[in-house]
Amino acid sequence: MKVLYKDLIKFISETPSKEILSEKLFQLGHEHEVHGEIFDMELTPNRGDCLSLIGIARDLNVFFGKSNHLEIFEDDIKSLDLDFKNLSQDACPKISFLEVEIDGKISEYKPYLKNYFSVLANNKVNFFTDISNYLSYELGQPTHCFDKDSINNQLVFENKTCNQELETLLGSKINIKDQNCVFSINNKIISLAGVVGGMSTACSSKTTKVLVECAYFNPELIIGKSIKYNLISDAAHKFERGVDISSQEMVLRRFIRIVQDHANIKSIKIKTFTNSVSRKNSIPINVDKINKILGTTLNDDNYSEYLQKLGFSVTNAIEAPSYRHDIETQNDLAEEIARVIGYNNIPSQPIKFDNINKKNQDILTSLGIFMTQMGFTEVINYPFSSQKEKNCIVIDNPLDSNRQNFRTSLKESLIENLLYNERRQKDSIKLFEVSDIYSVENSSIRQVKKIGLIISGRLGNNYAEFSKKLDSKYLKNLLNEFNKNFNIEEISRDNLSTKKSDPIFYAEACVDDINSEFLKGEEINKPDINFIKYNPVSQYPSSTRDFSFAITNLSKVSEIINYFEQLSDETIKDTFIFDFYKNIKTNSIKIGYRLVFQSTTKTLSEKDIQKKVTEVLDPVLKMDGVSIPGM
Amino acid sequence: MDNIEPPLIKEEFGSLHPINQVKDHLLGMLADLGFQEVDGPEIESEEFNFDMLNIKKSHPARQMHDTFYVENKSHVLRTHTSPVQIRSMLKSNPPLAFTSAGKVYRKDDDATHLPMFHQVEGIYVDTDVTFANLKDLIHQILHNLFGKDVKIRFRPSYFPFTEPSAEVDILSDNGKWLEILGCGIVNPIVLNNCNIDTEKYSGLAFGLGIERIAMLKYGVNDIRDFYKSNLDFLSQFK
Repeated sequence: MKVLYKDLIKFISETPSKEILSEKLFQLGHEHEVHGEIFDMELTPNRGDCLSLIGIARDLNVFFGKSNHLEIFEDDIKSLDLDFKNLSQDACPKISFLEVEIDGKISEYKPYLKNYFSVLANNKVNFFTDISNYLSYELGQPTHCFDKDSINNQLVFENKTCNQELETLLGSKINIKDQNCVFSINNKIISLAGVVGGMSTACSSKTTKVLVECAYFNPELIIGKSIKYNLISDAAHKFERGVDISSQEMVLRRFIRIVQDHANIKSIKIKTFTNSVSRKNSIPINVDKINKILGTTLNDDNYSEYLQKLGFSVTNAIEAPSYRHDIETQNDLAEEIARVIGYNNIPSQPIKFDNINKKNQDILTSLGIFMTQMGFTEVINYPFSSQKEKNCIVIDNPLDSNRQNFRTSLKESLIENLLYNERRQKDSIKLFEVSDIYSVENSSIRQVKKIGLIISGRLGNNYAEFSKKLDSKYLKNLLNEFNKNFNIEEISRDNLSTKKSDPIFYAEACVDDINSEFLKGEEINKPDINFIKYNPVSQYPSSTRDFSFAITNLSKVSEIINYFEQLSDETIKDTFIFDFYKNIKTNSIKIGYRLVFQSTTKTLSEKDIQKKVTEVLDPVLKMDGVSIPGM
Repeated sequence: MDNIEPPLIKEEFGSLHPINQVKDHLLGMLADLGFQEVDGPEIESEEFNFDMLNIKKSHPARQMHDTFYVENKSHVLRTHTSPVQIRSMLKSNPPLAFTSAGKVYRKDDDATHLPMFHQVEGIYVDTDVTFANLKDLIHQILHNLFGKDVKIRFRPSYFPFTEPSAEVDILSDNGKWLEILGCGIVNPIVLNNCNIDTEKYSGLAFGLGIERIAMLKYGVNDIRDFYKSNLDFLSQFK
């Protein structure tokens, strides 16, 4: 909700700066951003009473005092003779109607009304609806304006089962179905109560006689309606959170006052239909309890002062103001008092954890560390799958209807991960994932923690393993160490979207079946976390170049190795020795280096790479007894 | 020639997922304080995910557009790890201190929200647990994560399962407050639901989004990067 700084301070007796106002709003729990003159408020759902200028100001009055800014029509008003029937009094325990007739010209909007539309960028509709919208901003009570001449028979309110189309005053047509609170005339729905009015009874620029409806609707019956009918409704947002049941006459008198500011009033009439007395919740006074909740040392005077500043009645018990629907318990009162004190001003007090038993680290951590020691990288995947396996759990309302099933294996996810990395020029891939897997068995949900491993490509990026492939034997040797029940499977590439040909091997097992003794016996120490500063991953492809150095001056071998180890260049992503060969006959050594090039800012051209290659190789090729045959 | 040794082959280690690293770090820190880790299912009943936590039937979080329902609405994908604590409290007597961590699900998917993310939550129930205790504990957690000099702000918030409730911010290098965690005094309704005598016991609770902490600590700007399984990304967190 956006509010203007100038509008807000009219309701408090001081003129704090925007910075001080902002600080106090945070202290009270009203999160917001300040954009110039506008406070963009993000209010918690329990504080429906703050969805207005007067609501926020009521909280701020704790610090800045109250101003008597609000002008209302104070004269007597004739009673309205309205043919109205409330068939669902539980849904609407109190409703008021105001009839106003004007004549003559409507004057230019006064600054307070003008700013609401110009500065806050709200859309003007027509005179009466504009006042209704402004009132909702100022006082938090939504009102609905019917063109009085269109109310030509008995007006009925009812919470009932519906199946009717309504053309809304926004011009859209909605099919009102199932249980809804509605206003009807001759059984024809003219308004979806608390959400949106209908076109047939809406005011227009020609309306001179308006019937303003001002109600309290049971929040439970309004919740979800705007979403159900795909409507954005400020009124519904407020009714869902509960409005002030005792403010209706004041709101309607303020409506008249604003009309008076802009037009000549010919007649006004008002009528309230009340079916129950507003509920008042009394909470016993218990200062000790508040101190026990907060850890404070409040006395009786502090307690009363803080609550009274927030509009609470403090007599023999505590009574919350009618606009506060969220106050029921001592803990609620504790929060109110803490807000006034300021959470940051409540002193800290250490906890004594003497009675608590400590427990040791679990097997999962050891398993993960062991896998990384074996060169595997851990992944975490969403559990949503396109594959409908037998006994899989089906999501009723998926984000993506093509992924409606909960996975029953980690295989599909890990294959996707492998292919994703292959497309990014990775040629030695070892991944694992540990996750709970769910299925339906005998009408109940079964949960199993599983580990899945997938491998493909080169055994390693070094001269001893470069020409060898990851295979089932590798996986078997690894897994036999801690579980002989792993089922190793070769995944066919026939149905995969890939041009690679390296075999893929996959294994999966239940974590419970893992030999935990083996993990305890290993040197598996949990390293301290290292919060490195991550480098964004390049979106551009990498390129590799291989170079075989023939070295006849053997003293240069270590020099070359050191050179490449220390090579640092932003476009050289990786270097490693893929070949090392001693030729006894020629008394020479052959070292094969692979250089991987990648830029973070562009796709490197052949020219870019060649330039970098020359730059990198030049110092090496200048060494005595070092050459690249054929270059 | 015989003097020339082949180059050393460096062992190529993999890496644990950064989210699990942060999760383990937080759980380790809380275990050192005295919290015991408890585990529970990701597919939950509405009773444990909502009702027991004082989240009423009409609460917006329970609607189909916010929560994933499964198996003809018989269960939900848990929207927080709090139900794990409920299950554990039903099996234990105070004093108790539990942490629960793991995957949670909400029906979101954009640049700042994911349909699946991770939480670490903690609850402590004993005699005379106060908001002042909660503040001290949160200070300890945040000092561990962000250093002793970090500036911390508590501000009132709303959660159905805590009262009073708070959100906690830290002051970033650029002078802006960043929301880090939610916490509060356990609503006595929740303790009553777990058969805990609220005349004698009170509790505190807190919850952190692990992705949020990981993004801040590692400098990752896009939350989606954690779940692309890109080796160029994951291999940095060794």
